[in-house]
Amino acid sequence: MTMLKELAAELIGMFVAEMRLTISALAIVAMVAFLVDFIGVDPLLGGAVLLLGSLTLLVESVLRGARPRS
Amino acid sequence: MAWSTALTAVSAAFLASLVEVVEAFTIVLAVATLRGWRTAAIGTTVGLTALAGVVLLLGPLVARVPIASLQLTIGVLLLLFGVGWLRKASLRAAGVIPLHDEEAIFAAETAQLGAQQQRVHGSLQWVAGITALKAVLLEGLEVVFIVIAVGAGRGLLLPASLGALAACAVVLGAGVVIHRPLSRVPENSLKFGVGVMLSAFGVFWTGEGLGIPWPGQDLALLLFAGLFLAAGFLGSSLARKLSLGFA
Repeated sequence: MTMLKELAAELIGMFVAEMRLTISALAIVAMVAFLVDFIGVDPLLGGAVLLLGSLTLLVESVLRGARPRS
Repeated sequence: MAWSTALTAVSAAFLASLVEVVEAFTIVLAVATLRGWRTAAIGTTVGLTALAGVVLLLGPLVARVPIASLQLTIGVLLLLFGVGWLRKASLRAAGVIPLHDEEAIFAAETAQLGAQQQRVHGSLQWVAGITALKAVLLEGLEVVFIVIAVGAGRGLLLPASLGALAACAVVLGAGVVIHRPLSRVPENSLKFGVGVMLSAFGVFWTGEGLGIPWPGQDLALLLFAGLFLAAGFLGSSLARKLSLGFA
Protein backbone atom coordinates (compact mmCIF):
# COMPACT_ATOMS: atom_id res chain seq x y z
CA MET A 1 0.00 0.00 0.00
CA THR A 2 2.87 2.36 0.83
CA MET A 3 4.43 1.64 -2.56
CA LEU A 4 1.10 2.35 -4.32
CA LYS A 5 0.86 5.66 -2.47
CA GLU A 6 4.40 6.54 -3.49
CA LEU A 7 3.66 5.60 -7.11
CA ALA A 8 0.52 7.78 -7.06
CA ALA A 9 2.50 10.67 -5.55
CA GLU A 10 5.21 10.25 -8.19
CA LEU A 11 2.58 10.21 -10.94
CA ILE A 12 0.95 13.43 -9.71
CA GLY A 13 4.34 15.05 -9.09
CA MET A 14 5.28 14.40 -12.72
CA PHE A 15 2.66 16.90 -13.93
CA VAL A 16 2.42 19.22 -10.94
CA ALA A 17 6.02 20.30 -10.42
CA GLU A 18 4.70 23.59 -9.11
CA MET A 19 1.00 24.27 -8.63
CA ARG A 20 0.99 27.85 -9.95
CA LEU A 21 2.93 26.85 -13.08
CA THR A 22 0.57 23.93 -13.73
CA ILE A 23 -2.60 26.01 -13.27
CA SER A 24 -1.23 28.85 -15.43
CA ALA A 25 -0.22 26.45 -18.23
CA LEU A 26 -3.68 24.84 -18.18
CA ALA A 27 -5.27 28.31 -18.23
CA ILE A 28 -3.27 29.27 -21.33
CA VAL A 29 -4.33 26.08 -23.15
CA ALA A 30 -7.98 26.70 -22.17
CA MET A 31 -7.74 30.33 -23.31
CA VAL A 32 -6.25 29.35 -26.70
CA ALA A 33 -8.95 26.69 -27.16
CA PHE A 34 -11.62 29.30 -26.37
CA LEU A 35 -10.09 31.89 -28.71
CA VAL A 36 -9.71 29.48 -31.63
CA ASP A 37 -12.85 27.37 -31.26
CA PHE A 38 -15.41 29.84 -29.91
CA ILE A 39 -14.26 33.35 -30.86
CA GLY A 40 -12.89 32.27 -34.24
CA VAL A 41 -9.48 33.87 -33.84
CA ASP A 42 -6.92 32.93 -36.52
CA PRO A 43 -5.45 29.56 -35.35
CA LEU A 44 -1.92 30.84 -36.01
CA LEU A 45 -2.52 33.70 -33.59
CA GLY A 46 -3.75 31.12 -31.09
CA GLY A 47 -0.55 29.14 -31.68
CA ALA A 48 1.55 32.24 -31.03
CA VAL A 49 -0.31 32.86 -27.76
CA LEU A 50 0.26 29.23 -26.73
CA LEU A 51 3.99 29.30 -27.55
CA LEU A 52 4.81 32.74 -26.15
CA GLY A 53 2.59 32.17 -23.11
CA SER A 54 4.38 28.91 -22.29
CA LEU A 55 7.82 30.51 -22.68
CA THR A 56 6.84 33.46 -20.48
CA LEU A 57 5.39 31.14 -17.83
CA LEU A 58 8.62 29.17 -17.73
CA VAL A 59 10.84 32.22 -17.19
CA GLU A 60 8.43 33.71 -14.62
CA SER A 61 8.27 30.42 -12.71
CA VAL A 62 12.08 30.08 -12.62
CA LEU A 63 12.41 33.66 -11.34
CA ARG A 64 9.73 33.08 -8.70
CA GLY A 65 11.61 29.96 -7.60
CA ALA A 66 14.80 32.01 -7.18
CA ARG A 67 13.18 34.60 -4.91
CA PRO A 68 13.53 33.88 -1.20
CA ARG A 69 10.25 33.00 0.47
CA SER A 70 9.03 35.57 2.98
CA MET B 1 6.64 11.54 -40.65
CA ALA B 2 9.55 13.98 -40.65
CA TRP B 3 13.00 12.98 -39.40
CA SER B 4 12.87 15.87 -36.94
CA THR B 5 9.92 14.25 -35.11
CA ALA B 6 11.47 10.78 -35.04
CA LEU B 7 14.87 12.10 -33.97
CA THR B 8 13.38 14.27 -31.22
CA ALA B 9 11.17 11.42 -29.96
CA VAL B 10 13.97 8.85 -29.81
CA SER B 11 16.46 11.33 -28.32
CA ALA B 12 13.96 12.41 -25.66
CA ALA B 13 13.29 8.78 -24.70
CA PHE B 14 17.02 7.96 -24.65
CA LEU B 15 18.14 11.00 -22.63
CA ALA B 16 15.22 10.91 -20.17
CA SER B 17 15.88 7.22 -19.61
CA LEU B 18 19.58 7.93 -19.10
CA VAL B 19 18.81 10.39 -16.29
CA GLU B 20 16.27 8.16 -14.56
CA VAL B 21 18.29 4.94 -14.93
CA VAL B 22 21.34 6.64 -13.38
CA GLU B 23 19.17 7.59 -10.37
CA ALA B 24 17.68 4.09 -10.07
CA PHE B 25 21.10 2.49 -10.54
CA THR B 26 22.48 4.34 -7.48
CA ILE B 27 19.87 2.68 -5.24
CA VAL B 28 20.20 -0.72 -6.94
CA LEU B 29 23.96 -0.49 -6.40
CA ALA B 30 23.44 0.27 -2.71
CA VAL B 31 21.22 -2.84 -2.46
CA ALA B 32 23.79 -4.94 -4.33
CA THR B 33 26.63 -3.68 -2.14
CA LEU B 34 24.82 -4.65 1.07
CA ARG B 35 22.90 -7.75 0.01
CA GLY B 36 24.57 -9.00 -3.14
CA TRP B 37 23.75 -8.71 -6.84
CA ARG B 38 21.16 -11.53 -6.81
CA THR B 39 18.71 -9.60 -4.62
CA ALA B 40 19.31 -6.40 -6.56
CA ALA B 41 18.88 -8.20 -9.90
CA ILE B 42 15.59 -9.82 -8.82
CA GLY B 43 14.13 -6.50 -7.64
CA THR B 44 15.32 -4.76 -10.81
CA THR B 45 13.99 -7.47 -13.12
CA VAL B 46 10.55 -7.45 -11.48
CA GLY B 47 10.46 -3.63 -11.71
CA LEU B 48 11.51 -3.59 -15.38
CA THR B 49 8.98 -6.32 -16.21
CA ALA B 50 6.18 -4.31 -14.57
CA LEU B 51 7.21 -1.19 -16.52
CA ALA B 52 7.40 -3.12 -19.82
CA GLY B 53 3.92 -4.50 -19.05
CA VAL B 54 2.59 -0.94 -18.64
CA VAL B 55 4.09 0.09 -22.02
CA LEU B 56 2.72 -3.01 -23.77
CA LEU B 57 -0.72 -2.51 -22.21
CA LEU B 58 -1.11 1.25 -22.56
CA GLY B 59 0.78 1.77 -25.84
CA PRO B 60 -1.76 0.01 -28.14
CA LEU B 61 -4.71 1.39 -26.11
CA VAL B 62 -3.46 4.95 -26.48
CA ALA B 63 -3.00 4.43 -30.22
CA ARG B 64 -6.75 3.72 -30.53
CA VAL B 65 -7.75 7.13 -29.20
CA PRO B 66 -8.77 9.60 -31.99
CA ILE B 67 -5.66 11.49 -33.08
CA ALA B 68 -6.85 15.04 -32.24
CA SER B 69 -7.94 14.08 -28.70
CA LEU B 70 -4.73 12.09 -28.23
CA GLN B 71 -2.52 14.96 -29.40
CA LEU B 72 -4.31 17.45 -27.17
CA THR B 73 -4.24 15.24 -24.06
CA ILE B 74 -0.65 14.07 -24.49
CA GLY B 75 0.43 17.53 -25.63
CA VAL B 76 -0.88 19.17 -22.45
CA LEU B 77 0.66 16.45 -20.25
CA LEU B 78 4.00 16.77 -22.06
CA LEU B 79 3.91 20.55 -21.70
CA LEU B 80 3.28 20.30 -17.94
CA PHE B 81 5.93 17.61 -17.55
CA GLY B 82 8.49 19.33 -19.79
CA VAL B 83 8.27 22.81 -18.27
CA GLY B 84 8.40 21.21 -14.82
CA TRP B 85 11.71 19.51 -15.67
CA LEU B 86 13.03 22.62 -17.39
CA ARG B 87 12.13 24.82 -14.41
CA LYS B 88 13.91 22.53 -11.96
CA ALA B 89 16.96 22.14 -14.24
CA SER B 90 17.16 25.94 -14.69
CA LEU B 91 17.01 26.49 -10.92
CA ARG B 92 19.71 23.84 -10.39
CA ALA B 93 21.89 25.37 -13.12
CA ALA B 94 21.50 28.76 -11.39
CA GLY B 95 22.61 27.25 -8.09
CA VAL B 96 19.28 28.05 -6.44
CA ILE B 97 18.57 24.40 -5.62
CA PRO B 98 21.33 21.81 -5.15
CA LEU B 99 22.37 19.43 -7.91
CA HIS B 100 21.42 15.76 -7.66
CA ASP B 101 24.32 14.13 -5.81
CA GLU B 102 24.53 10.41 -6.61
CA GLU B 103 27.38 9.79 -4.12
CA ALA B 104 25.34 11.33 -1.27
CA ILE B 105 22.22 9.39 -2.25
CA PHE B 106 24.25 6.16 -2.40
CA ALA B 107 25.67 6.81 1.08
CA ALA B 108 22.24 7.67 2.51
CA GLU B 109 20.58 4.60 0.95
CA THR B 110 23.38 2.31 2.16
CA ALA B 111 23.12 3.72 5.69
CA GLN B 112 19.33 3.32 5.70
CA LEU B 113 19.53 -0.30 4.51
CA GLY B 114 22.25 -0.98 7.09
CA ALA B 115 20.06 0.41 9.88
CA GLN B 116 17.13 -1.72 8.71
CA GLN B 117 19.41 -4.76 8.67
CA GLN B 118 20.21 -4.21 12.36
CA ARG B 119 16.54 -3.77 13.24
CA VAL B 120 15.34 -6.96 11.53
CA HIS B 121 18.38 -8.98 12.61
CA GLY B 122 19.82 -9.95 9.28
CA SER B 123 16.62 -10.91 7.47
CA LEU B 124 16.92 -8.03 5.05
CA GLN B 125 16.80 -9.91 1.75
CA TRP B 126 13.22 -9.01 0.91
CA VAL B 127 13.50 -5.42 2.16
CA ALA B 128 16.52 -4.91 -0.10
CA GLY B 129 14.74 -6.54 -3.04
CA ILE B 130 11.69 -4.30 -2.54
CA THR B 131 13.97 -1.24 -2.29
CA ALA B 132 15.51 -2.07 -5.69
CA LEU B 133 12.06 -2.80 -7.16
CA LYS B 134 10.67 0.50 -5.85
CA ALA B 135 13.60 2.49 -7.20
CA VAL B 136 13.16 0.99 -10.67
CA LEU B 137 9.37 1.49 -10.61
CA LEU B 138 9.44 5.08 -9.35
CA GLU B 139 12.24 6.27 -11.64
CA GLY B 140 10.94 4.20 -14.57
CA LEU B 141 7.44 5.65 -14.39
CA GLU B 142 8.61 8.91 -15.94
CA VAL B 143 10.43 7.03 -18.70
CA VAL B 144 7.29 5.00 -19.45
CA PHE B 145 5.24 8.18 -19.73
CA ILE B 146 7.78 9.78 -22.07
CA VAL B 147 8.04 6.65 -24.24
CA ILE B 148 4.26 6.37 -24.57
CA ALA B 149 3.73 10.12 -24.99
CA VAL B 150 6.34 10.71 -27.69
CA GLY B 151 5.88 7.32 -29.31
CA ALA B 152 2.23 6.35 -29.41
CA GLY B 153 0.78 9.29 -31.35
CA ARG B 154 3.08 8.87 -34.35
CA GLY B 155 3.71 5.13 -34.47
CA LEU B 156 7.08 5.64 -32.76
CA LEU B 157 6.44 3.41 -29.76
CA LEU B 158 9.03 0.83 -30.79
CA PRO B 159 11.85 3.31 -31.64
CA ALA B 160 11.15 5.27 -28.44
CA SER B 161 11.19 2.05 -26.39
CA LEU B 162 14.45 1.04 -28.03
CA GLY B 163 15.89 4.46 -27.21
CA ALA B 164 14.95 3.96 -23.54
CA LEU B 165 16.32 0.41 -23.52
CA ALA B 166 19.58 1.60 -25.10
CA ALA B 167 19.99 4.06 -22.21
CA CYS B 168 19.41 1.20 -19.72
CA ALA B 169 22.10 -0.84 -21.46
CA VAL B 170 24.56 2.09 -21.45
CA VAL B 171 24.06 2.81 -17.73
CA LEU B 172 24.11 -0.84 -16.65
CA GLY B 173 27.22 -1.48 -18.77
CA ALA B 174 29.02 1.53 -17.29
CA GLY B 175 27.82 0.65 -13.78
CA VAL B 176 29.01 -2.93 -13.98
CA VAL B 177 32.45 -1.79 -15.19
CA ILE B 178 33.08 1.00 -12.67
CA HIS B 179 30.99 -0.43 -9.81
CA ARG B 180 30.31 3.00 -8.30
CA PRO B 181 27.45 5.52 -8.48
CA LEU B 182 27.58 7.30 -11.84
CA SER B 183 28.13 10.71 -10.30
CA ARG B 184 29.97 12.12 -13.32
CA VAL B 185 26.97 11.86 -15.62
CA PRO B 186 25.88 15.48 -16.28
CA GLU B 187 22.37 14.77 -15.02
CA ASN B 188 21.23 18.37 -14.89
CA SER B 189 22.36 19.14 -18.44
CA LEU B 190 20.55 16.03 -19.65
CA LYS B 191 17.44 16.99 -17.69
CA PHE B 192 17.64 20.48 -19.18
CA GLY B 193 17.83 19.01 -22.69
CA VAL B 194 14.96 16.59 -22.12
CA GLY B 195 12.85 19.38 -20.58
CA VAL B 196 13.47 21.47 -23.72
CA MET B 197 12.45 18.62 -26.05
CA LEU B 198 9.35 17.65 -24.08
CA SER B 199 8.17 21.26 -23.75
CA ALA B 200 8.60 21.70 -27.52
CA PHE B 201 6.65 18.49 -28.16
CA GLY B 202 4.02 19.64 -25.67
CA VAL B 203 3.36 22.98 -27.40
CA PHE B 204 3.49 21.36 -30.85
CA TRP B 205 1.00 18.60 -30.07
CA THR B 206 -1.30 20.77 -27.96
CA GLY B 207 -1.46 23.15 -30.92
CA GLU B 208 -2.12 20.34 -33.40
CA GLY B 209 -4.84 18.99 -31.11
CA LEU B 210 -6.46 22.44 -31.11
CA GLY B 211 -6.30 22.56 -34.92
CA ILE B 212 -3.37 24.98 -35.23
CA PRO B 213 -1.55 24.47 -38.57
CA TRP B 214 2.07 25.12 -37.51
CA PRO B 215 4.11 26.74 -40.30
CA GLY B 216 6.80 24.34 -41.53
CA GLN B 217 4.85 21.46 -39.94
CA ASP B 218 7.20 19.10 -38.04
CA LEU B 219 10.17 21.44 -38.55
CA ALA B 220 8.43 23.88 -36.21
CA LEU B 221 9.48 21.48 -33.41
CA LEU B 222 13.10 22.53 -33.89
CA LEU B 223 12.18 26.21 -33.63
CA PHE B 224 10.16 25.54 -30.47
CA ALA B 225 13.04 23.56 -28.96
CA GLY B 226 15.42 26.46 -29.71
CA LEU B 227 13.05 28.94 -28.06
CA PHE B 228 12.58 26.78 -24.94
CA LEU B 229 16.36 26.33 -24.73
CA ALA B 230 16.82 30.12 -24.89
CA ALA B 231 14.05 30.67 -22.31
CA GLY B 232 15.63 28.10 -19.99
CA PHE B 233 19.05 29.79 -20.26
CA LEU B 234 17.49 33.22 -19.78
CA GLY B 235 15.54 32.08 -16.72
CA SER B 236 18.61 30.40 -15.26
CA SER B 237 20.84 33.41 -15.84
CA LEU B 238 18.30 35.85 -14.35
CA ALA B 239 17.66 33.49 -11.42
CA ARG B 240 21.40 33.36 -10.65
CA LYS B 241 21.60 37.17 -10.60
CA LEU B 242 18.43 37.38 -8.51
CA SER B 243 19.63 34.84 -5.94
CA LEU B 244 23.05 36.53 -5.72
CA GLY B 245 21.28 39.84 -5.17
CA PHE B 246 19.46 38.37 -2.21
CA ALA B 247 22.55 36.61 -0.83
